[in-house]
Amino acid sequence: MKPSLYQPINGEIVEIIDESPTIKSFVVVPEKQVTFSTGQFVELTLPGEGEAPFTPSSSPAQADKMEITIMKAGRVTALLHECNKGQKVGIRGPFGNGYPVDDFVGKEVYIVGGGVGLAPIRSLFLTLVDRIKDFKSVVCRYGARTPKDFIYKKTLFGRWQKIDGVNIKLTVDEANGEWKDNVGVVTTILEPGDVDIKNAVAVVCGPPIMMKFVTLKLLEFGFAAKDIYLSMEKNMSCGVGKCGHCMIGKYYVCKDGPVFTYEQIKDYPNIWD
Amino acid sequence: MKTVFIVKLKPLLDAVAGDMDLYTPKKAEQHYVYKRYDPSADTDVEFNNIRACTPIKEFLFPLRELAAIFPEPVEPEQIKPFAVFGVKNCDLRSIEVLDKVFLEAEFEDPYYVARRDKMFIISADCFDPGESCFCNVLDGRPWPESGFDLNVCQAGDGFIIEIGSNKGNDFVQNHNELFSEVPQGALAERDRIRELTQKQLEQNNAELKFDMPIRDVMNATYDSYVYDEEAKTCVECQACTRVCPTCHCFYLYDTKQEDYFSKMKMWDSCMRMAYAQVAGGANPRKILGDRLRHRLMHKFVYFLDRYGLQMCIGCGRCVDAEAGDVDIREVLKKLNKELRDSKEAKVTK
Repeated sequence: MKPSLYQPINGEIVEIIDESPTIKSFVVVPEKQVTFSTGQFVELTLPGEGEAPFTPSSSPAQADKMEITIMKAGRVTALLHECNKGQKVGIRGPFGNGYPVDDFVGKEVYIVGGGVGLAPIRSLFLTLVDRIKDFKSVVCRYGARTPKDFIYKKTLFGRWQKIDGVNIKLTVDEANGEWKDNVGVVTTILEPGDVDIKNAVAVVCGPPIMMKFVTLKLLEFGFAAKDIYLSMEKNMSCGVGKCGHCMIGKYYVCKDGPVFTYEQIKDYPNIWD
Repeated sequence: MKTVFIVKLKPLLDAVAGDMDLYTPKKAEQHYVYKRYDPSADTDVEFNNIRACTPIKEFLFPLRELAAIFPEPVEPEQIKPFAVFGVKNCDLRSIEVLDKVFLEAEFEDPYYVARRDKMFIISADCFDPGESCFCNVLDGRPWPESGFDLNVCQAGDGFIIEIGSNKGNDFVQNHNELFSEVPQGALAERDRIRELTQKQLEQNNAELKFDMPIRDVMNATYDSYVYDEEAKTCVECQACTRVCPTCHCFYLYDTKQEDYFSKMKMWDSCMRMAYAQVAGGANPRKILGDRLRHRLMHKFVYFLDRYGLQMCIGCGRCVDAEAGDVDIREVLKKLNKELRDSKEAKVTK
């Protein structure tokens, strides 16, 4: 008999990084290499407790280990947050379709992220930066609730801002004394002139409500629905388009997504819920 | 198709049970349920007029099964050959649906493959269809045409056995002494019974007619109030999805044993409130009417678009099982009426 479709690859958490009060990044080393393309997701199992879907936040080019950034949101993620280095885990996947990076060649890539939505975007960002000359530019607009809620602070505030061809602007919903940048939700730092819309694609990832309003804003700017890429957060479980939990209309988010263009899903109700 | 004849069913079933575990439908109150056949105890063989209440998926995709053991993977226990008797054409069509899902090239489910491979199917013609049966509306017939190893139908003073596969042929060869040639006139009688049964279904469902293919009716009435209206009587018992032979949602969960961890697979239901909910609380189908719509759209539109066949086979089990008052036939009828009314309204304008 073939191995089970649902057999996890054994792995170990080798490092844990505190990103924000509710978000940690876990560096996981799988026993067998897990080759993924940016934007695909994996199911991370905490043995005996449960599993949950996450898009790795590391670059696919880094093959021996993957980083998974996790917000404490439910039972499994809360338990993961209590884990220490050395914790054994299971990994299933990768599943689905990631970002079609090759289709972005020669274009401006307009990335809009919020909160923990930066995780899949970081993987994409690192992938783009690796071959930055292939793209006209990479323009990023990130928002967080407060300055301390930004994740990947060190690189986000530092090295990433200095890369040629990259333009990053940040905003917070609520500022504290030291914050000098924009205050307001992420849509307040989106300008029609940020990119040449005729030759750009937009990538959006963040909390559902943020994705909704960013998408509406991008449409208002004149982006075509087919040029807006959304990484959808749904209840992916089996990962192979069978169990049904993640369905949006006819799509299995796990198999047909998790990255969709807005064009694909716009006619279904409650996609942001 | 090659046919043979047998006068009584018991010798046939005894021979099957001699080769492997056999499950047959037994009457439990007004319905049939599958039970393990015991040649010494089961002196009377029941020939079920319609499908059992037990959905055939139970034999291929059990209510709860082991999906994986880790950290050390374990070779799953070998599935032994088994046989199921009295399988109706709607059941066979439901297997076709499940095959699409679990035998899908890249994502084959090895447990399903193993069971499917070991299953010996003895199907049977329907006679005297039930009140809830509506397979004829969904292009089904009350007798099997393919997908079985042997098919049984009553005719003359016994039963005609059609041989539908090599496995079926081997069985007949190996038990040659049980069978005789089909008597003259028996096939004509079989055809007459089949025609009568078909007519009876057509009469029962005379009012269930659509102006367009169901897929188009449903797409055109996607925003219908009918779903919320119908869902009002749903008590979320999820019985419809349990007994549905094509519903295949499942839930993967983890357990801890003394020296290993396991992933288990258990039937789930898209009618359940938290079914699509994510950890953060977001839920695209919080409203019961939305869940009902999703279930029916999946049956008649999404599955058809993806796999080229409808996911409802008209067996009517959900109608029988319903604790509330949701009747899939009524929902379809109302959607069709809404579509017709809206067209007429446009014309009068």
